[in-house]
Amino acid sequence: MDSNEVGPEKVAIVVSEGSYDKAMASVFLGSTAAGLGMDVHLFFTFFGLDLLKKNKRPKLKGMFRPFTGMFEKKMKGIGVESFQVMMDTCSEMGVKFYACSTSMEAMGLKMEDLRDGVDILGASKFLDIAAGSNIQLFIG
Amino acid sequence: MVDVKLDCKGMMCPMPIVHITKKIKTMEPGSVLEVVADDVGSKEDVPAWASRTGNELMETREENGNYYFVIKKK
Repeated sequence: MDSNEVGPEKVAIVVSEGSYDKAMASVFLGSTAAGLGMDVHLFFTFFGLDLLKKNKRPKLKGMFRPFTGMFEKKMKGIGVESFQVMMDTCSEMGVKFYACSTSMEAMGLKMEDLRDGVDILGASKFLDIAAGSNIQLFIG
Repeated sequence: MVDVKLDCKGMMCPMPIVHITKKIKTMEPGSVLEVVADDVGSKEDVPAWASRTGNELMETREENGNYYFVIKKK
C-alpha cells in the first residue's frame, strides 16, 4: 500500500528503549491512537526491540528495577493491564508492530523469538510510513 | 434509550478509551452506550475520542465524582 494515500490519520512511533516506562507509554499511545480511529505503526529499535520478544516483561530502570512487581500491582489496581496484555490489545485494535532489521542482527534475535504478527523493516520503509503520517513520535 | 452500559470506574487512562472502543465495535449503528468513569482525564478524553471517531456524544454529566457519557454509535 502506498503510505501517502488518503485514509485514516496515521501515527508513526519509534520505540528505542525497553524499560517499563517506555514500554507502557508505547502501548498506551498505541492503543489510544487506534481507539481514536488512527492507523498506528510502532517501530521497535535498539533496546526497544526487546519489547517484541515473546512474553517479555519489561522492568523499571536503574535503582527502581526491584520495585517493578510492586509497580505493576499498583497499575493493575488502577485498571491498567500488564504490558503483554496491552500488546495483545494493541494487536486486536489493529496496531502494527515492526522490528528494526539491523537491531535484530545486532541483538542476535530471530523471527521466532518475537511475538506473532511482527514485520521486519529497515529504516527506509519506516521513514516512508512516517512521511505519510500526521503524527511522528520517538519514545526513547 | 440507553442500549448498553459500560462501567470504567477504577480505570485510569488509557483503559476507558480502550474499553469504549472495544464495546462500541460490538454495537449496532444508532445504538446508545452509556459510560461511567472516575478518571478525571476521561472528562476531556471521551469527548476527544467521540469527535475523532465521529460517534455522537449526546450527553455528559458529573455526579459524585463520576463522569457519565452517553454516546450514539455512528
